[in-house]
Amino acid sequence: MVPKSHRRTALLAVIRRLLEGVWTAWAAVTLAFFALRIASGDPVASLLSQGLASPEQAEEIRISLGLNAPLWLQYLRFLANLLQGDLGSSLYTHRSVSQIILEQFPSTFVLAVTGLIAAVLFGFILGITAAWLRKRTSGMIAAAIAALATSIPVAFAGILSLLIVGHLLQEIGSSSELLIRLILPALVLGFASSGPIARVIHSGLSESLRSPFILAARARGIRRDVRLLWHALRPSLPPAISLVALEAAFLFTGTVVTETVFSRPGLGRLLVKSILDGDYPIALGLVALAAIFYTISHVIADLLTFIIDPRLRRVE
Amino acid sequence: MKFPLLKTLCVLWLVAIGLLALTAPILTSADPYEQISSTMQTPTDHPPLGTDALGRDFFARLTYGTRLSLSIPMLSTLLTILFGTILSLTAIAVGGLVDRIILALTNAALAIPGLLLAMLLVAGFGPGLPTVVIAVGLGGIPGFVRLSRSIFLGIKEMGYIDAAYALGASRIRVAFAHILPNSAPQLLSLATTHFAWAFMGATTLTFLGLSGDPSFPEWGAMLNSGRMHLIQSPRLTVIPGILISLTIFSVHYLGENYTEK
Repeated sequence: MVPKSHRRTALLAVIRRLLEGVWTAWAAVTLAFFALRIASGDPVASLLSQGLASPEQAEEIRISLGLNAPLWLQYLRFLANLLQGDLGSSLYTHRSVSQIILEQFPSTFVLAVTGLIAAVLFGFILGITAAWLRKRTSGMIAAAIAALATSIPVAFAGILSLLIVGHLLQEIGSSSELLIRLILPALVLGFASSGPIARVIHSGLSESLRSPFILAARARGIRRDVRLLWHALRPSLPPAISLVALEAAFLFTGTVVTETVFSRPGLGRLLVKSILDGDYPIALGLVALAAIFYTISHVIADLLTFIIDPRLRRVE
Repeated sequence: MKFPLLKTLCVLWLVAIGLLALTAPILTSADPYEQISSTMQTPTDHPPLGTDALGRDFFARLTYGTRLSLSIPMLSTLLTILFGTILSLTAIAVGGLVDRIILALTNAALAIPGLLLAMLLVAGFGPGLPTVVIAVGLGGIPGFVRLSRSIFLGIKEMGYIDAAYALGASRIRVAFAHILPNSAPQLLSLATTHFAWAFMGATTLTFLGLSGDPSFPEWGAMLNSGRMHLIQSPRLTVIPGILISLTIFSVHYLGENYTEK
């Protein structure tokens, strides 16, 4: 039974973490807004230079987008609209950015979730193998693969997989849409993001395998696999979980490349296209959402580790 | 686990591509921008690695590509180190409120993945090679500040820093004469791993076509342009891809194993 005062301090810690999250999200969105707007100067310039608008039309667009107002006022409007889920409208199609993002979201969501599952699977398998069989060749191979996963760019891993699977499919004489459009990109994304997870699991496991409690478990006659997968793995789970939550948000950067390589529609390609077109409301909206999403997943990760790791609950 | 041989191989590889970048005009007489013969020629005696989809000498593009591929992340890393060190050293040397403000700003900036921040800056500046340099350089600052700050913090807690203050040294003197030189080995290791990150980031941006003009010989851009002809001539993508991966691996491995000699 946890004493009442401890429960209250724990609740306070949770509330504090939530408030911190709100602050971080706000600050990140603010940074994104000013970084983009200060770097871009005149956002309508790209329309002018491409001859898509005459100077009079550009002036009209400026007025309709509220770009004539001072930057701080534009920022306040942006923030107020963001709170209502309004991210402005595209410079080219004049469609609502939130609408465009919502349309592309499911495709990226499916890829990111499948990729994350693959990353966790790869990471755990590589990390556990590397720690368990550290004296054998297979353990060293697992460690080497984990190191390679961090060095091979997602783009190249994707191209290689297309090349290999393309050849294989040609041999068999079949083509699978699901394989090329979802499974392969997810595996590539997962592989590229698995390096850090494998590393954390590997070092955490190696450390706890040297600890006295493993020796004690061994003395109690607990089987080696149970010892490893339950006793030794548990202490390295909290850092792994917070890492997975971080990766969940960072996966978005990976989807940008994966979607391009596999010609898959989604938010990543939307971002690249908006950058190349100079369609700044879309780019800003996507980055702002990514920052908010990152903050949320970070807070969730902290709360999860708080639940899993009893040591953190013993607040002074 | 140590592989002394692997370390040597990594050093050799980096020396090799460094030499490739320096001696590009000696190694090949071809112009990487110029169409020399029919497109997609297979490797022959001349040109040694054939031609690309636009009939340009592929070997010349790879060797000249070394220059751009290495110098873009190098310049970005210099930018990151310069501003990152100024920020984190100020935070640690001044301490108090200044430290807390810089730390809070860094944490907020870290909520945007570095590469995404770089892409946002490209969206602002407009695509181009200088843009990629600046974007990757600025995008790496938050991560660099966080790590270098903790390095400086470790040094600041050493006894000789207290001794220096006790002898009447000013904050600026302690920062530049004591904290900075004593953290040099760790900073160098950090800078090396950061270069690997910048290299990955720069090639990703150029791969996505954010460097603007696709005619520049640069490995990331070549990875992208060769993709269209993956089945007919895989070498156009596989060779730049291997060059990028080997370079990132070598830099990363050396950076991580720098401290443990």
